[in-house]
Amino acid sequence: MKLQVKLALYNTLTKVAIILFTGLLILLSIEKISYNHIELRLEQDEQEILRSLSSKEINSYLTTQKTYTDYNILKEEFISIKPVEYKSVLAPNGRFKTESRKIDRNTQDYRILWHRFNFNNHTYMLEIGVAIESVEELKSIIKKFTIVVLVIALVLTLISDLIFTKFLLAPFYKIIDRKLIKVNDPMNFDYEKIKTTTQDFELLDDSISSLMKKISNLFILEKQFIANVSHELLTPISIISSRLENILLQEELSEGSENKMHASLKTLNRLKSIINSLLLISKVENNQYAKTDMVMIAAVIMEIQEELEDRIEEKRLKFTNNLKYIYTIQGNRPLMHTLLFNLINNAIKYNNAAGSIIIGDELKEDMYTLIITDTGTGMDSKQIENAFNRFEKLDTDERESYGLGLAIVKSITAFHNIKVQIHSVKGEGTTVKLIFNTPIPLS
Amino acid sequence: MNVLIVEDEKGLALEVDEFLSHEGFTVEHARTKRSAEEKIFINNYDFILLDLGLPDGDGFDLLKMLKGLDKREDAVIILTARGAVDDRVSGLEQGADDYLAKPFSLSELLARMHAITRRKHRLESNDINIKGLKVNIQNRTVMYNEERINLTKKEFEIFNYLVLNKNRVISRTNLTEHVWGDVLEINSDSNFVDVHVKNLRKKLSQYIPIDWFETVRSIGYRINI
Repeated sequence: MKLQVKLALYNTLTKVAIILFTGLLILLSIEKISYNHIELRLEQDEQEILRSLSSKEINSYLTTQKTYTDYNILKEEFISIKPVEYKSVLAPNGRFKTESRKIDRNTQDYRILWHRFNFNNHTYMLEIGVAIESVEELKSIIKKFTIVVLVIALVLTLISDLIFTKFLLAPFYKIIDRKLIKVNDPMNFDYEKIKTTTQDFELLDDSISSLMKKISNLFILEKQFIANVSHELLTPISIISSRLENILLQEELSEGSENKMHASLKTLNRLKSIINSLLLISKVENNQYAKTDMVMIAAVIMEIQEELEDRIEEKRLKFTNNLKYIYTIQGNRPLMHTLLFNLINNAIKYNNAAGSIIIGDELKEDMYTLIITDTGTGMDSKQIENAFNRFEKLDTDERESYGLGLAIVKSITAFHNIKVQIHSVKGEGTTVKLIFNTPIPLS
Repeated sequence: MNVLIVEDEKGLALEVDEFLSHEGFTVEHARTKRSAEEKIFINNYDFILLDLGLPDGDGFDLLKMLKGLDKREDAVIILTARGAVDDRVSGLEQGADDYLAKPFSLSELLARMHAITRRKHRLESNDINIKGLKVNIQNRTVMYNEERINLTKKEFEIFNYLVLNKNRVISRTNLTEHVWGDVLEINSDSNFVDVHVKNLRKKLSQYIPIDWFETVRSIGYRINI
């Protein structure tokens, strides 16, 4: 549940509770207050009546042992005195009760003061009642009022809370969006502060920014490390290789030494290739290449075919280009070239003499797939599993394989969001599928 | 021809110096950006071999400074271990004539320098004469007595490179890298260079004897003049 909704619900619930509580309190206190008021009056009336017991009118009733009842026109109040069984000593008794009484066909609730007293050696029960209908009416009005207020308050609170929390949380979502979601690499981080008056969000913003600062510093360090390593390793290699070349210029060199010099140069070249390959992988993995070129796959394939023509001819391979679509991907052209070059070069390298290479493609649900099939030595499933690891080599006669070709393929495809699938049967050949996950098919 | 090597790595500068002196160049050496600036202000050079990572600054600044000077024709070749494509592009955009990633072979450097020289002095004869064969770099042709020898693009590249580096053994690795570029993981030990050389020799021998075109066993080739 969203924080905004949670806050609104919490506010609503607390407000409902407060209103309910106050409503009940008012109800109870109104009952209490009005009863108190009524009872006070009843007590005064009682005193008045007891004082006027000897008055002629009442006295005549009492002496005849009849019940005396009197009430006003609207029957809101009544008085009754009736004789009860005589007791010479009366325990303290009486006080108040609420009862329904029927007076002249009218039934009403009354708050009644009752009191037994002795008068002229008789015991009488005095009851004075006041209708409490008005109190009950007040109570029900308050109840209704409370409910109405409750509902209105509920709706208003919910709406106002939702609007307010939305306004309150806007900087929070802005921070999430701008500082976390839209950040692809720490180098392009937007350090501009999000405007907010909420200190907590300022803290969040600052914390994210400082974290990003740390990450980008690490990133820069790593880049520097790669640059340094490349410089520090490649420069000495450069010196040695130049020195060997210069030694080779000396005419007095024996043939044996000359051969050794050339062999050393070749080893140096191998070292250089390995360092360059590792550097390439690191740089790709660190997103240090721009993806701004529109690369037409078919054109790159044709270029590579031309470049590798002699190798294809040398092995008497049949190279078939079956491309049906013109697909363009936004990416890095040199990297895409390296990727396809490595794959096609492998298809040549591991092919049998007079074998064939077929380049095909398909378009399924806006997904473009490039398929490179060869009739080479093939791999078993374990070999396929390890093929993309660095320095993994197939048992091959090729002395110059460094086992980095497919590791490079892996990093470049990941960089361009391309999925690689390899199907291979040992001794029959290999099919490499490149599934382009960017659905922008052109024509 | 005058060459200024701007390189903080003394060992490398000495080797390049030795090689280029052997080839008849006059070589000067600057190890820092400051000393390079002084030298560039005082002298004109035919070539400035520029390392980008200098102890007191970036080689790009030197390039910018040089391009800001009037009437300077100094050709600049950037030599750097920063092999990034971006550096290569920005180097060439800022007016460098060529770009070589370290480690480079000295014969490749020489070939690039020759190529720049020919580009800059277009009016002079582009032909190199060798045993009666005329190699024209501009048109990428080899002629014998006004008759054109029909070479493929790669055969021409190989022949041209060997001619430029005449009297020196050029290894297959070196030749492969020159002709096919610095393609990663290319199989430089394969004999497909040999296939091209074999075809090249067959074509040339139809016109003249080619005993000067020597195969150096297990290493590479040499053209002796």
